[in-house]
Amino acid sequence: MSENTGSLSGSELRKALASREIKHVVVLGANGTMGYGSAALFTQAVPRVTFLARTRDKAEEGLAAAIKQVRSPTVASRADVGDYGEDLDKALATADIVFEALTEDLEIKRTIFDKVEKARRDDSIVATVTSGLSINQLCEGRSESFRKHFMGLHFFNPPNVIVGTELIAGRETDPELVAFVEAFSQVRLGREMVRTSDTPAFAGNRVGFKVLNEAAQLAEQLGPVLVDRLVGPYTGRAMTPLATIDLVGWDIHRAIVDNIHQNTADEAHATLKLPDYMANMMEAGVLGNKTGGGFFKKDGKTRLALNPSSGDYTPESEISLPNLAYIDEVAHLHTVGRYAEGMELFLAAEGDEAAMARKVIAGYISYAFHRAGEVTESITGIDMIMGAGFNWAPPSVLVDTMGVGPAVAMIEGAGLPVPSNLAEAASAGRTEKFFNHPQVNIGKYFVAS
Amino acid sequence: MANSEVYVLGGYQTDFARNWTKENKHFSALMREGVLGALEQCGIAPEEIESAHVGNFAAELYCMQGHLGAFFTEVHPEFSGLPTGRHEAACASGSIALLAASAEIEAGRYGLQAVVGIEQMKTVAADVGGDYLGTAAWYDQEAEGIEFPFPKLFGRLGDEYDARYGLKDEHLAEISRLNYDNAKLNPNAQTRTWYMNKEQALCRTDDNPAIGGRIRIADASQVTDGAVCVFLASREYAERYAKGMGKSLSSIPRLKGWGHNTARLRFDDKVAESQGNEYVLPHVRSTITSAWERAGIADANGVDGIETHDCFTTSEYMAIDHFGLTAPGESWKAIEEGWLEIDGRHPINPSGGLIGAGHPVGATGVRQLLDGCLQVTGEAGAYQVEGAKNFQTLNIGGSGTTSVSFIVGVD
Repeated sequence: MSENTGSLSGSELRKALASREIKHVVVLGANGTMGYGSAALFTQAVPRVTFLARTRDKAEEGLAAAIKQVRSPTVASRADVGDYGEDLDKALATADIVFEALTEDLEIKRTIFDKVEKARRDDSIVATVTSGLSINQLCEGRSESFRKHFMGLHFFNPPNVIVGTELIAGRETDPELVAFVEAFSQVRLGREMVRTSDTPAFAGNRVGFKVLNEAAQLAEQLGPVLVDRLVGPYTGRAMTPLATIDLVGWDIHRAIVDNIHQNTADEAHATLKLPDYMANMMEAGVLGNKTGGGFFKKDGKTRLALNPSSGDYTPESEISLPNLAYIDEVAHLHTVGRYAEGMELFLAAEGDEAAMARKVIAGYISYAFHRAGEVTESITGIDMIMGAGFNWAPPSVLVDTMGVGPAVAMIEGAGLPVPSNLAEAASAGRTEKFFNHPQVNIGKYFVAS
Repeated sequence: MANSEVYVLGGYQTDFARNWTKENKHFSALMREGVLGALEQCGIAPEEIESAHVGNFAAELYCMQGHLGAFFTEVHPEFSGLPTGRHEAACASGSIALLAASAEIEAGRYGLQAVVGIEQMKTVAADVGGDYLGTAAWYDQEAEGIEFPFPKLFGRLGDEYDARYGLKDEHLAEISRLNYDNAKLNPNAQTRTWYMNKEQALCRTDDNPAIGGRIRIADASQVTDGAVCVFLASREYAERYAKGMGKSLSSIPRLKGWGHNTARLRFDDKVAESQGNEYVLPHVRSTITSAWERAGIADANGVDGIETHDCFTTSEYMAIDHFGLTAPGESWKAIEEGWLEIDGRHPINPSGGLIGAGHPVGATGVRQLLDGCLQVTGEAGAYQVEGAKNFQTLNIGGSGTTSVSFIVGVD
């Protein structure tokens, strides 16, 4: 079975799609960001989408937000709204997919699943958008029919922009339903699908937030401006790491890294501990952009940067950075499409700062390759979700662009464990690529700044 | 004339959803990715390339850069010294480059040629870009001082159909809907992740604003950035290549036919010339039929699918009857009968076409040929037309001015 988009042929896709018809989707928690974002997405392909929330007013708010997000009036013509009372029972009687997007809390979700269990049709698919809770745990104690029809369908925020999507089957989920949801999401919703295991934070957030948290840890010593410059677009990403945490929200960041830190014990465990300064600032109400700032904030037109040790902010222009000329040189090579030469220069750059940047990138590659087989079947799944879910150069793309030998040398130089398949490939002088997706342009990940 | 056969060994397309300006990338990066991607995809070493042709409309305007043939030599040190050139015929630039390259192969000058179609358009604001596109018409007579001149010209193509045969906007809307649907199957299509559903495509109110007469936003292809590179080869080279790849020569796509006509530049003159003719754009019709003649086929039943130039829904509407899928003026029948769907009787634009896949002007003709090759070799993935052996392209520059068609197929 396929691990990610593109592995199903045209006829296989059409066959899987033809196995069911989706005429009605019910979204629970449709007033939340993921709820209305996902509901909007469904209106692309489904004639009727019901937005449900605690109150009808809340559901209306969700619908208004959905219309605004995708800027299409057709959302309204396909949508109706309701609450978790009678409306829920009525809507579930005709729902082909029940999509749960409530708060990330096991008990809250279990309570709504009690209602779903009673009202759903036996053949309806029940999907959750959870970004961290265990799929198997969420359906524990439910009927056989529920467990067979239950799966995780993890859209990233905002779903109309980020197409990478994780699909997580439980132990008892019907494989044919999983294949159907994969084909439906790919063809009708324009998703890049990746199948992952039911492991903490699944694949994308497990690998991505490890890197983001390490950047936050480094910021304590180096300050956010330097960290975001060092691990900036030239290393293969559209948005810098600390600006990403500010956008996502510090609370979400904490929920994800705490979940991973508490429920895993891998070789990079220490990098998943939330820095104390972040915990302290969160107590004072700092949650990133949604509270007016985090690592960075705006004062009129001036961009201010946090001093993690004092909690004060300084205008970015007053912060002096060491000589980082190598970054400009790498960016220039990216501008003219010479990505391999850019990475070569990055690997050879001298100074503690360049070494620090390499340590983060080496950590990313090492961590991702160590997770292959654990969070996804192979590195390809991690590659695809890092590319389509985070807009980062997939780990295999970095290895291919650097060459496996130099990549292994970088990981060793950073004092990090070298994944066995990389070590073997390096010692065997392997030249074939790890990232073998001819229709994904690897160049797009190397942003020239 | 076995010696004059021209084979297409394959190629590569950049992702048309990318915005290279946002990535801070120079035009040369776009060409580089297109060409290096094609070499890798086809397993061809750079030193094998003997000559290169670049199709591009207006890099002088969009990128302040001319002399694009020379940029080919920047891609790889092995290319320094190669004979190269650039071709321009508005939106048909890519096909003109293909024609020139194939003619050189037929003449026996070269065994292996690279053809690159390329355009970077997201460098300027939409209104500025719209004005630049006006140079594909007779600028000072048809475009100067007009906001978005091309939608208006192709709106008038719809008006002409309406006057001669009657035309319902809902049929145009169905063309848009189908192209957007197909684009969702194409991993390189510009619009594959856009929010688009049937109602949005069919919407005829201000939520889908008019931009030129009857042409609404959803009726129009969108400008974008993109490069496509294919390799054309002589029979001798293709035989060697096939052997090296463990394939038979008959499995390598071949250019079986081509057509090429240029009508008068102004839309008014074209329409005046075609009064009394059953085809609204007779020179387009003749491009299609001359490709059939050269390929030795009688009509569109001889091809398994079409990649046509739907810069606007009206241009695809025109193509339907010009390909003879219906009697002149009855294109709506093919739409209503579902013939144009991927599994229909005459699939059109399984890739999503220009509306769905995107229209980086100079790249489009080469993209169409590459998609035709993917179809006849069974490599089109989710948008594969089952069992396709022959595909036809139609690439149009200006308001129906320069037309080029290729038939590519395997034996």
